[in-house]
Amino acid sequence: MKLSQKWNALWDNDFHVAEKRKIVFAIPLAILVVGIIMMIIFRFTLGSAFNLGTDFAGGYSVDVKLGNKLTESNRQDYYSQIEEVFTSVTAENGKTYKVEISGAMQMQGSGDTASIHIKYSQINGVSENEMSNYVNPAIISALEQNVLNKVPNVSVNGKVITATYDEVINADGENSPFTALRGQFIKVVSDLNKNYEAGITVDESSFELNPENNKQLIITSSTDVKNSANLRKAIVTAMNLPDKYSGTVTGGDMVGATVSSELLFTAIIAVVLSLMFMLCYIGLRFQLSSGLACILALLHDIVIMFMFMAICHIEINSNFIAALITILGYSINNSIIIFDRVRENMRSLNAKKLTPEGVANKSVKETLMRSINTTITTLIMILMVAIIGVTDIRIFAFPIIIGLLAGTYSSMCIAPSLWALFQRVGKNRENFNLPPVEKKNKKAKTAKTSKIGA
Amino acid sequence: MDEQTPLTENEQAVPGRKAPVVAPAHKAIKKKSSITKLVLIGVVMVIGMIFAFVPMRFGLTLYHPFLSKEAISLGLDLQGGVYAVYQATNTDTDNFDAKMEGTRASLESLLSSKGYTEATIVREGSDRIRVEVPDVDDPSGILQVIGEPTTVRFVLDSTNETIITGENIVNAEPGYDNQNGYVVSLEFDSEGRKKFAEVTANNQGQTISIYLGDSTTPIQTANINETIPNGRAIISGNFTQESATELAGQIVSGTFDVALELKESQTISPTLGDNAMKYGLIAGVVGFILVIAFLCLVYRLLGLAASAALIIYVIIYLFFLAVLPWVQLTLPGIAGILLSIGMAVDANVIIFERIKDEYRGGKSIMAAYHAGFKKALFAILDSNVTTVIACVLLILLGTGSIKGFAITLLVGVLISLFTSLVVSRGIVKYIINLNSYNAKLYNLKRAKRYEGLDAGATDAAVLADMEREKQEKEEKQQEKERAKAERRSQKQKGGETA
Repeated sequence: MKLSQKWNALWDNDFHVAEKRKIVFAIPLAILVVGIIMMIIFRFTLGSAFNLGTDFAGGYSVDVKLGNKLTESNRQDYYSQIEEVFTSVTAENGKTYKVEISGAMQMQGSGDTASIHIKYSQINGVSENEMSNYVNPAIISALEQNVLNKVPNVSVNGKVITATYDEVINADGENSPFTALRGQFIKVVSDLNKNYEAGITVDESSFELNPENNKQLIITSSTDVKNSANLRKAIVTAMNLPDKYSGTVTGGDMVGATVSSELLFTAIIAVVLSLMFMLCYIGLRFQLSSGLACILALLHDIVIMFMFMAICHIEINSNFIAALITILGYSINNSIIIFDRVRENMRSLNAKKLTPEGVANKSVKETLMRSINTTITTLIMILMVAIIGVTDIRIFAFPIIIGLLAGTYSSMCIAPSLWALFQRVGKNRENFNLPPVEKKNKKAKTAKTSKIGA
Repeated sequence: MDEQTPLTENEQAVPGRKAPVVAPAHKAIKKKSSITKLVLIGVVMVIGMIFAFVPMRFGLTLYHPFLSKEAISLGLDLQGGVYAVYQATNTDTDNFDAKMEGTRASLESLLSSKGYTEATIVREGSDRIRVEVPDVDDPSGILQVIGEPTTVRFVLDSTNETIITGENIVNAEPGYDNQNGYVVSLEFDSEGRKKFAEVTANNQGQTISIYLGDSTTPIQTANINETIPNGRAIISGNFTQESATELAGQIVSGTFDVALELKESQTISPTLGDNAMKYGLIAGVVGFILVIAFLCLVYRLLGLAASAALIIYVIIYLFFLAVLPWVQLTLPGIAGILLSIGMAVDANVIIFERIKDEYRGGKSIMAAYHAGFKKALFAILDSNVTTVIACVLLILLGTGSIKGFAITLLVGVLISLFTSLVVSRGIVKYIINLNSYNAKLYNLKRAKRYEGLDAGATDAAVLADMEREKQEKEEKQQEKERAKAERRSQKQKGGETA
């Protein structure tokens, strides 16, 4: 009961929003300042102020061609293996890099031609040269080793050499990997004996697969094999699974931006033009000052969304453009509902008795329940998306949530305060009972009041 | 469509009287017709839901509901599609980089014009272009969309001189004419137009052959019967609709700044898979239920009406998604639609808050309903018109996914206008017709001043104000008409004297 009483008492009091300009404008300014500071910090520590995805900045791509090994059902396993490889790539220059995969990996083709397409951005603070000379080759070899599983683990014990692979070795027929590996080994035996004094004596019958897992190739020599690290290394190289069975990694090429500069340019032109048209429409239906306040509130929302992306260093991709357009529609809606009240109040109340702030406050108060309820229903939907949706959709939902909150704030606080401020300027003053401004030019402005509303 | 419900006898204006009027009779107005209409709306809703969500089988044909993979075309991220990599055949020309960029842009607009707004075109390495097209299952399907680029040459047979090449072609489109069946019609640029007119004027009676690519056998040979000044030519010859479309696509691709060669084309699996759709759907359903619960809690029966309107909104939205060819549902699209559900409630909330205000200010439920809708109308229209302005400009000027997203947003705004101003208004009206005296049903509260006032009654002073306003409005209207008539008669007089 107490709470509801307090709630009701709230409605009996007047609102004071419009006159608290300092606080109203200080909050977004503070966010802007923090954003700019973070942008500067990121610029120097990570190399770029915004975390631009390959959609905008371009990047590199690599294809892991796996052929028949890759199916719809096991692609997720491969994706996570690849992801792990990318988290730490050690290049020939001795440095270890963390490479960001941009967007989602793509499986393409099927059967013999199935492959995985991966895009990644240029690492912040790493030059293009370093990328193409060190990082890209390192990524390719790391993928070859860890995803293709070409390379066996080799051990030598007495007469027995075992090469253990990470996957099942097929031994059916002439074209099987088993036959290929046997051929490869027999080919190098004389070299091994010569270079490492290995003492291996084998023929085709010396090869068998461990029937327990079909992953172990067991080679039994009829003579003792001299076990040395160099020998084992040579065997590993010789016994790499051929590309045909393991797949290949190609690419490391630069890719351009999906969102081309023309697309961005036309989008910006379209947005600027639509802002101008909106300004005209609101100017006609309401007042020019209402239109200006709406547009400034809208710009505020967009700036806040960008600052959020900068502060949290979230990747900006083409989905972010969609988020901006959504908020553009939402925010302007919100502001207009309030200015509709302002328009009505200016008509019905004797505005001359009030200050612009008074009219703005009254209008905000009268539309407050609507603002709260609409924000709640909209937030419910987008929060559900953020809570239940898959990762990518969540990343899309965050800037929208921020945009919604910014939009609600700007339409309830910034737009009315700005409007009230504009009413104190020029001819608008005559709508209100405001003390005259001292001016040298004393040409009396007669009853030319500016029109309000349609 | 909405006739004003007459005030009940007890609500007649009593000028000057400040005390609340006596409570009116508590009974339903137009009970039968209101119930019939509510039931009708309910039936329409149920049928709509069946068409939207339930797959059905009629004999041998299977009906796909609006909300199904078969009906709604899905973007690359949700359904996959095909990709093709094109390689430039001649890399050592001037400004190669700029030309590649130009070609990329041409491909983008070509695909966008064919409805593939969600296609992505990206440069790979220095001399390759990768194209990804959603909603095509078959790798060879991409050839129908873009075509293996080919050039076209018009050769004058007598001198074996090439008159026109792809450089002079601005556009190629499939068409149909009665004589030749399916054809490909070409449009030349000004230079091509001039050349073509010149050659056709000087070589009457000769033949022109049209060759594709490096082929030495002409696809068509035609007699020059007359001068062709308008720069339009038609290629005919046993085309089907499909082959004409394909050839037109190939010729357009052949006009690109850089000659391209198809290197490989394959299918792409969706990057997100069924999970994204499934969880999107769950998020939608859960959010929807929460929104409805919230509305019913805050606005009670009014909220129920809004919920019904919201369900109709979703059905109509899904219908348009299934029908409109330019709309491809992508991940942000799903989020956008879910968000639009939250926003579609807005118009209802504005109206209901107005009704609450009017009731608080001493009007009867019925009078508050009428005043609420009337006063909210312009706020709703104005706010939505601005969104429509933005969407239309983004559709006209934007390209690719921006265009697609603006279309989905525009569709949402227009439908929500319809459902809130027509559907929910109707439902609210019929509900209030059935009970216009129990404010608790609508969670309406009187201001302190009017606390004792019956819910079905309007305060006398308020009523008098309303009457006065009405009268003033009528007078204004009459004055306007009078002025108009005067002006008209003056104009006529002026016309007569002149």
